[in-house]
Amino acid sequence: MKQIALYGKGGIGKSTTSANLSAALSEKSLEILQIGCDPKHDSTRMLMHGEWIPTVLDLVRKKGEANIAVDEIVFKGYNGIRCVEAGGPEPGIGCAGRGIIATFQLLEKLDALYGDVIVYDVLGDVVCGGFAMPMREGYAQEVYLVTSGDFMALYAANNICKAIARLSKRTKNRCTLGGVICNSANIENEYELVKEFAEKINSKLVAFIPRSPIVRVSEVNRKTVIEYAPESEQAEIYRKLADTVMKNVPDKNKIPVPMEMDELESLSLKYIKI
Amino acid sequence: MNSNRSLSNTSRYNGCSVSGALSVSAFIRDAVSIVHGPAGCAHQASSLFHSTMIANERFDIPYIYTSGLLEEQIIFGGENRLRESISEALSYDPSVVFVIGTCISETIGDDIDSVCTDAWEVPVINLNTSGFLGDSFERGFLNAIKGASELITASDEKTLSANIIGEKNLEFEVEENYSEIRRLLGLLGIDINIRFVRDITTEDIPNFCRGSLNIIREDPSGVLTQFFAEKTGIPSIPRFPSGTSDTLNFLEEAGRLLNLPWAEAVAREKEYQRSVFEEFSDLGDERIAFDSFGFQDADTQFFTDIAKNTGIKIDPDGTVIPIPLTAPVGTTGIRRMLREWRRFIDA
Ligand code: SF4
Repeated sequence: MKQIALYGKGGIGKSTTSANLSAALSEKSLEILQIGCDPKHDSTRMLMHGEWIPTVLDLVRKKGEANIAVDEIVFKGYNGIRCVEAGGPEPGIGCAGRGIIATFQLLEKLDALYGDVIVYDVLGDVVCGGFAMPMREGYAQEVYLVTSGDFMALYAANNICKAIARLSKRTKNRCTLGGVICNSANIENEYELVKEFAEKINSKLVAFIPRSPIVRVSEVNRKTVIEYAPESEQAEIYRKLADTVMKNVPDKNKIPVPMEMDELESLSLKYIKI
Repeated sequence: MNSNRSLSNTSRYNGCSVSGALSVSAFIRDAVSIVHGPAGCAHQASSLFHSTMIANERFDIPYIYTSGLLEEQIIFGGENRLRESISEALSYDPSVVFVIGTCISETIGDDIDSVCTDAWEVPVINLNTSGFLGDSFERGFLNAIKGASELITASDEKTLSANIIGEKNLEFEVEENYSEIRRLLGLLGIDINIRFVRDITTEDIPNFCRGSLNIIREDPSGVLTQFFAEKTGIPSIPRFPSGTSDTLNFLEEAGRLLNLPWAEAVAREKEYQRSVFEEFSDLGDERIAFDSFGFQDADTQFFTDIAKNTGIKIDPDGTVIPIPLTAPVGTTGIRRMLREWRRFIDA
């Protein structure tokens, strides 16, 4: 079982990437579980044809943990992909990080945490102990950083890289950096910039996803690109990403090296055209 | 951010603000104290109460209530659980409910104040103990005294009496120390008005302002002196006296603050002190050495002076005498301490 997690800045397109990746993986007759770990709970929406599925934490709040059955929290979406949304507390109270880990533990208890690939779509740039839990507890075993060439996106990716580097020092660590995925924001020289960023942090660019109008069109139609426009070039790109991810066996001894702030700035400057 | 660090890592005087607050609020007999946090926080405090009070031969250990937060409340916030706990607590028919926050309730951002100001049938007072309050037993203690003082009301009537503030309810000799202060004030003809807070009920608290002198158990930072001066306008003595001259000064100070003749009281006390040292004149040729067991920043000068008064010699090879955690209060405190020394010497 491969347990991968997509981390990155909010709004960078993690959910779109995760859903399309899951859809592409499911075409390979693999059993996929996608877990959205964001209180916003829109990770699995396209896989569920626009349906907002109930979140685990909403149910826990309503019914108590003991009274929850698997089929109330795990939903079959496109091509049999099993979808879960962790959800979270109301904004401004409680601890969402703790909620995410409670969700995983509940899924484990209900024997629902299985599949050939589990895709965790983790709310991005908050990397306090609570949100780093999926990495720390060994759920997120291969982390993919989703970024664009935007400075703040790189900054967030670099921060997550710091978390992985820190966790790598633990003896029981199971979390590795799988690579960097560039979800293009149509920034000039973006490919070169993100590629160099990936190398600088001792990793590699595993996919460059160009910006394409088909993504929006599919979303308006409440589908992933894979489902809505299977013949499109964009769908091919997600399939390639799925191939890469499946073949990827990240080296456990390869620890990412986060960049210093000024290094990151000069890297961005290097590619920017004024 | 509370980042006070204790050099000794942790000691009796550092630790958890919850215990400090409870050491005040749990001694108001008709109050309920709710520890808003995981049950473990309340357990920590009640274990401390249990062991300390039993060691002090008190068996009326106060009952401590907790909202008992579980992971579910940590995730979703614990304000509703606190509301439920207050309602449950009200079924015990208390006159006041104190809410004692913990590190956890602060971490998840519970707004205890807003819950306390809901329309409850009795006052519900937040003792402001949430969070990582640095060197915190003390802070919990101070905040609880301040919180309980919200029940103090103004009074037109004045009596020649003193308020005792901030007794350490978990202290070994708390009753003996109180009796000593009472005896000393008796020499001046002053009564005790209220013990704030020790074994009182909320009905006693509005009488606070009938007192004309505040005597604080100890107030090294001056916080309580200032607080009660502002709140009640009553003059304060910020400590229980320890040592011979301090005890005499205490009488003089109390007399002066209340415009009472004090010379005779001082003379009588001096006489009593003389008789105490005479009582131990048999120890005159003994040799002792003090040992603080490395626990405290011990000021042995105080004890050395008492030894000298008795005629005892300080000698590193002498009988080892453990230095008490707190200095003895008043003349009777010295007498009790000398009795103990005698037991060590005779042993
Ligand atoms: S968690 Fe905080 S409040 Fe609870 S017992 Fe520990 S120090 Fe006290």
